[in-house]
Amino acid sequence: MTIEQLRGQFPILGEKVYGRPLVYLDNAATSQRPLSVVEKWEQITLKSNANLHRAVHKLAADATAEYEGARQAAADFIGAGDAHEIVFTSGATAAINLVAFCFGEAFIKAGDKIIVSEEEHHSNIVPWQMMAQRKGAVLKVLPVDDNGQLRVDMLDDMLSDGKVRLLSVAHISNVLGIVNPVEEIIAKCHKYGCAVLVDGAQGIVHQKVDVTAMGCDFYAFSGHKLYAAPGTGVLYAKKEWLDAFPPYMGGGEMIETVRWTGTTFAKAPHKFEAGTQNISGTPTLVPAFEIATRMREQSIDSEAVAVKDFVYEALKGNPLVRLFGCPDRPEDKIPLFSFCVDGVHHEDLALILDKMGFAVRSGQMCAEPLMDRFGVTGMLRASFAPYNTMEEAQMFINALDKAVKMLR
Amino acid sequence: MTLEEKKLQVVEDFSMYDEWLDKYEYLIEQGKNLEPFPEESKTEDKLIKGCQSRVWLDCEMKDGKLWFKADSDAIITKGIISLLIDVYSGRTPQEIANDDFAFLDQIGLKENLSPTRAGGLASMVETIKAKAAEAAAEPKAEAEAEAEVLSAADVKELAPLYENVVLALKQVYDPEIPVNIYDLGLIYEININKEHRAYIKMTFTAPNCPMADMVISEAKTSVEDVPGITGCDIDLVFEPAWSQDMMTDEAKVTLGFDVDLDDSQA
Ligand SMILES: Cc1ncc(COP(=O)(O)O)c(C=O)c1O
Repeated sequence: MTIEQLRGQFPILGEKVYGRPLVYLDNAATSQRPLSVVEKWEQITLKSNANLHRAVHKLAADATAEYEGARQAAADFIGAGDAHEIVFTSGATAAINLVAFCFGEAFIKAGDKIIVSEEEHHSNIVPWQMMAQRKGAVLKVLPVDDNGQLRVDMLDDMLSDGKVRLLSVAHISNVLGIVNPVEEIIAKCHKYGCAVLVDGAQGIVHQKVDVTAMGCDFYAFSGHKLYAAPGTGVLYAKKEWLDAFPPYMGGGEMIETVRWTGTTFAKAPHKFEAGTQNISGTPTLVPAFEIATRMREQSIDSEAVAVKDFVYEALKGNPLVRLFGCPDRPEDKIPLFSFCVDGVHHEDLALILDKMGFAVRSGQMCAEPLMDRFGVTGMLRASFAPYNTMEEAQMFINALDKAVKMLR
Repeated sequence: MTLEEKKLQVVEDFSMYDEWLDKYEYLIEQGKNLEPFPEESKTEDKLIKGCQSRVWLDCEMKDGKLWFKADSDAIITKGIISLLIDVYSGRTPQEIANDDFAFLDQIGLKENLSPTRAGGLASMVETIKAKAAEAAAEPKAEAEAEAEVLSAADVKELAPLYENVVLALKQVYDPEIPVNIYDLGLIYEININKEHRAYIKMTFTAPNCPMADMVISEAKTSVEDVPGITGCDIDLVFEPAWSQDMMTDEAKVTLGFDVDLDDSQA
């Protein structure tokens, strides 16, 4: 597949904003949707819309087959051994909250510890704070160094008292764009009996994930950052955890029998999918996985790497730019660049760039503690997807120069 | 310049620019005209919530009018807040509270700003309105707090001053009405403190009176000219609203109202 053919799959990339061609560089916030995803949604909505698991009629059977088919596809996409280890959620946030609640109820007592890293998205901080507060547990923070790399060297010390029950860490931070050494972290944690949740909201997009090889206990991601419909998400959890978890939300679908004397619950994963699910959205994960897989083909990937290298070098070489997230090994960097420009406010830059047709992100990026760590009120972020071309990358660097000149 | 005139002028200024870039450059220039905001005043309570950049806004009430000061760490935001201040500073709380801020749509500021920025603009407008409403709701809280106990001797000394202040107010006219502001019933309260400073609470026949500024400043000068008066502060209030019953009989006659009929109707 060529990059032009790939772009053809994403009609929005041909749009204009303010009369200029759109250059969409906010992929880390949400990606765009390919036609195949839209068509899947349409097909289900127009041809087989029915509630799942509940009726004997043909449409219900079709809808259920699509939905459960997506479960198998998700298991295959991330290398889970068993589709029963896949719980569908409304996104990464919902998946993390599910684990925080259930793990907390089942395994956390007062005085226990939880670790999150300093670079986490609010979605991977707040659920743990809430759980810690409820359970009297203590939340500890694994710091990052000045280059934005996790201080994995500090982990042994933090784990050594044997009180840490769970560590939750981003596979790739949505601010720093560095692939974290999750295998190493997991190995260390498991040595001390500490479970690991990997927040894969960004990782699933930029890495080939194999949860079995990785060895994580939980892996969470959102569909919408991976070209699927918004409101879709996946929680992978090892079967033994899911079986040991109490139910999360109560409602239809997650039960076996309901009597006034008490209710028995369905088995995992349905135990964790209360209420009517995202009937038309979740099956769009299937074409999304397909296109994500195709983007890893050599013809597309080599351009993506070239784009990354070009932007990375250009920004590093600009004396006005302070780039956050520069790993020792350049191959650990993904095409996601958060930076500040000396003497220019990130919001002003984003506004001017917007007027030039570039969609970039500015602000705290849902990671206030990390902003504090680097002593800034916000950053500008350009995050690329494989459908972004070298030409767009060059235009971006030129536009950035122009905007900076205007504002300084 | 009245508020309406000022807004018209801004709309006109902006209409000269077709290109968004020029509009932004104009805003950036505006931002540079902002009076400096003291670093030590950039406190949490003055931060406007809901903006991506940090915006500090402070205001002070002087002579019945609100005066704003602001700053931002982002230059375009600074331009926007500077524009708002240029238009709304030095207006009465009532004028601001009653304004619809529609001129912002006319200059295309809303449509030209990104969603978060438009949100920021909305927060700025909300804050300015809230400050105005606050100021309108409790005019001269400080003066009331200062209310003092007067001795018999004080009262004896102050009584002639009150009479002279009333006489001074009777010299002031709304240029469109041939009755002075006192007999017209526009003066709601007169207070003179031990330092002989006069506090006057007054209204206008309608909230949008175009001559309000002029009349207030004339009243202030007239009162301050009274021998023995050390200063005068005037608060403009619209609660309770003025009505014809508040006029003296003399005024009603002058304006051709039938005195008795009017009473029986009321
Ligand atoms: C690293 C990371 N974690 C979690 C989330 C939350 O994802 P969602 O809002 O889709 O639930 C995001 C999204 O911005 C993210 O980038």
